[in-house]
Amino acid sequence: MLDIKNLHASIEEDGTPILKGLNLSVKPGEVHAIMGPNGSGKSTLASVLAGRDGYEVTEGSVSFEGHDLLEMEADERAREGLFLAFQYPVELPGVSMSNFLKHAVNSTREHQGKDPLSATDFLALMRENAALVDLDPALKARSVNEGFSGGEKKRNEIFQLAMLSPRLAILDETDSGLDIDALRVVSAGVNKLRQPDRSFVVITHYQRLLEYIVPDVVHVLLDGRIVQSGGKELAIDLEEKGYDWLREETGVPA
Amino acid sequence: MNSLKSLETTFIEAFDKDLGLLPSDTADVWTASRRQAIRSFADAGFPKRKSEAYKYTPVTKWMSEPPALQSSKPVSALHLPFSALEGVHLKTVNGQLSSPPDHLPTGLTISTLRAALETHPELVRGHLDRLSSGSAGDAFSTLAAAFAPDGLFIHVAKGTVLDAPIYIHHASVSPDALVQPRMLVTAAENSEAFVVEHLPETGAGAVFENRIVDVNVARRARLRHLVVYERGSQARFVNSLHAHQLDESVFSTNNITLGGALVRNNLHVVPDGEHCETHLNGLYIAQGGSHVDNHTLVDHVKPNCFSNELFKGIVEGGSTGVFNGKVMVRQDAQKINAYQSSKSIVLDDTSHVYAKPELEIYADDVRCSHGATTGELDDDALFYLRSRGIPPRQARVILLEAFARDVVELIPLDEVRTYLNTRIGELLAD
Ligand SMILES: Nc1ncnc2c1ncn2[C@@H]1O[C@H](COP(=O)(O)OP(=O)(O)OP(=O)(O)O)[C@@H](O)[C@H]1O
Ligand SMILES: [Mg+2]
Repeated sequence: MLDIKNLHASIEEDGTPILKGLNLSVKPGEVHAIMGPNGSGKSTLASVLAGRDGYEVTEGSVSFEGHDLLEMEADERAREGLFLAFQYPVELPGVSMSNFLKHAVNSTREHQGKDPLSATDFLALMRENAALVDLDPALKARSVNEGFSGGEKKRNEIFQLAMLSPRLAILDETDSGLDIDALRVVSAGVNKLRQPDRSFVVITHYQRLLEYIVPDVVHVLLDGRIVQSGGKELAIDLEEKGYDWLREETGVPA
Repeated sequence: MNSLKSLETTFIEAFDKDLGLLPSDTADVWTASRRQAIRSFADAGFPKRKSEAYKYTPVTKWMSEPPALQSSKPVSALHLPFSALEGVHLKTVNGQLSSPPDHLPTGLTISTLRAALETHPELVRGHLDRLSSGSAGDAFSTLAAAFAPDGLFIHVAKGTVLDAPIYIHHASVSPDALVQPRMLVTAAENSEAFVVEHLPETGAGAVFENRIVDVNVARRARLRHLVVYERGSQARFVNSLHAHQLDESVFSTNNITLGGALVRNNLHVVPDGEHCETHLNGLYIAQGGSHVDNHTLVDHVKPNCFSNELFKGIVEGGSTGVFNGKVMVRQDAQKINAYQSSKSIVLDDTSHVYAKPELEIYADDVRCSHGATTGELDDDALFYLRSRGIPPRQARVILLEAFARDVVELIPLDEVRTYLNTRIGELLAD
């Protein structure tokens, strides 16, 4: 599904290296969790994978379903089945949720050689997926994310994930900003979306999320590299001990 | 390139040649007024290079190719998208009323201005005097006052509430001529009306429309006004609107500029009564090297009024947008709430926007604010759309349509809104 080899990436503007030789391999149907301290490069990894401008890949390769991901434009990657749930979803004043999703869904369908969805099918799909994450139906009538609460924005990301049925979904701190009930609802939604041919990369700071969305592998990202990988117990260890022991072990300065 | 002086001479000579022969009978108020107007024009001349008001839009730019004063054949039937909508429909040819509707709602008068001089002299005389004396408007207005052979008069009688809009289709114009129409709209006490003007696409041809719209809104009258300008990519347009409001009246004008090579909207409103409400709105899309200049003035002379202004512009392809909005609050105009906002998006390096909001306040108990922003399309927003699979061009159109929507949403006519949203989408997708 996803194969990242020795990925080095820096900030385009000033050349600051952020990712420093990152390796990660995700097989179909797997859920990988990535944990790591603030500023270690988790969102940068997500951005580089999604194709956001402003980063330069200086070394390494990323293959996604056999294609060279880094050769594709951001929108092509999405149409090929890569989805990023943003840590900070963007507000789009004046762009209605339904217009936005219609364009999004139909762009991917067109790419797959399918006809655009009929208005009725589209509405039915919206209804079904909104129910999946318990998204307030009133939100569907509003502008994308505009004035949404923090939690509503995060639900909306998973709602969009459901609408677009990607092959690989990267969830960047989808749990932050969710209350305990919402965390349960959103996790249950994600679990329903788990499929043998759909993989997830879940970026989180909290072991709690991983009790709901149980990962196959947990990775620790420290200073731009994955320094430790293990089972879900690793998350519990981190919760207890923090990251310092790993810093010492790997010689990364705090 | 013509010097201003020689341009002025051209106009004055043309007037003398063609119109000097008009009867010298001073009882002919109309002709006398036109003669007065050309004298005022000759005295003042075009705005000079240093003129602040025309700083970004020098007159020489307008006149680099002087328009033909003689009009040739009007172009034939233009597409009129609003012609089937419910309401009263008028058509003009070269700015002159061509087909007066045979059935009008009670309380609505529509005629030529010259005819109105007989039927409503008290309303028309003031309008003629103000313009021909040069005391209102600039040289373009006096020029139009001199050359307009006749005008359009719309009067909504006291207490008349019109349920449906009055549509004016400026349906036909000579392709290369200078057309100088004038119009007077008067809404009497407690009346209510909505005037929608459409200047549809003309295709090729450098038609130059220099027009005057005078509006009087009497006590407790409510008048809405919408102008949709879609002339072709070589067309020029000077749109000078003067509105005068009395106590407790409401006036709103919305100016949507989607075409033209050079467009200047001069919008001047005087809320000359207490508790007036004024809305000045506009949207422009300047493409292909065009130049759109919105010049507004709200002159608060009386207390307890409210005014609000929203102008939005999208500029690309070597085009220029100008917004110069002035709010004046005179000494006696206490307790004024006046707001103004101008926002523009500049899509490339070859395009520019000059925004100059001005507040001039002489009263002490007022609430005024203005804000002008000019920026590019938001990269984060573009990326968000693209990360959902939407191709960049489409993403751009979605965001620009959303940007324009605020102004379009203010129009309380579903079909017109739908038409405009579609047109805007088409223009931005090209
Ligand atoms: N576009 C950018 N411009 C400048 N610096 C950036 C940019 N993107 C990331 N960085 C820097 O790169 C480092 C890694 O940031 P990143 O957002 O990837 O961290 P993170 O692991 O997601 O942290 P958090 O847990 O706080 O979300 C930080 O020091 C950040 O300031
Ligand atoms: Mg982050």
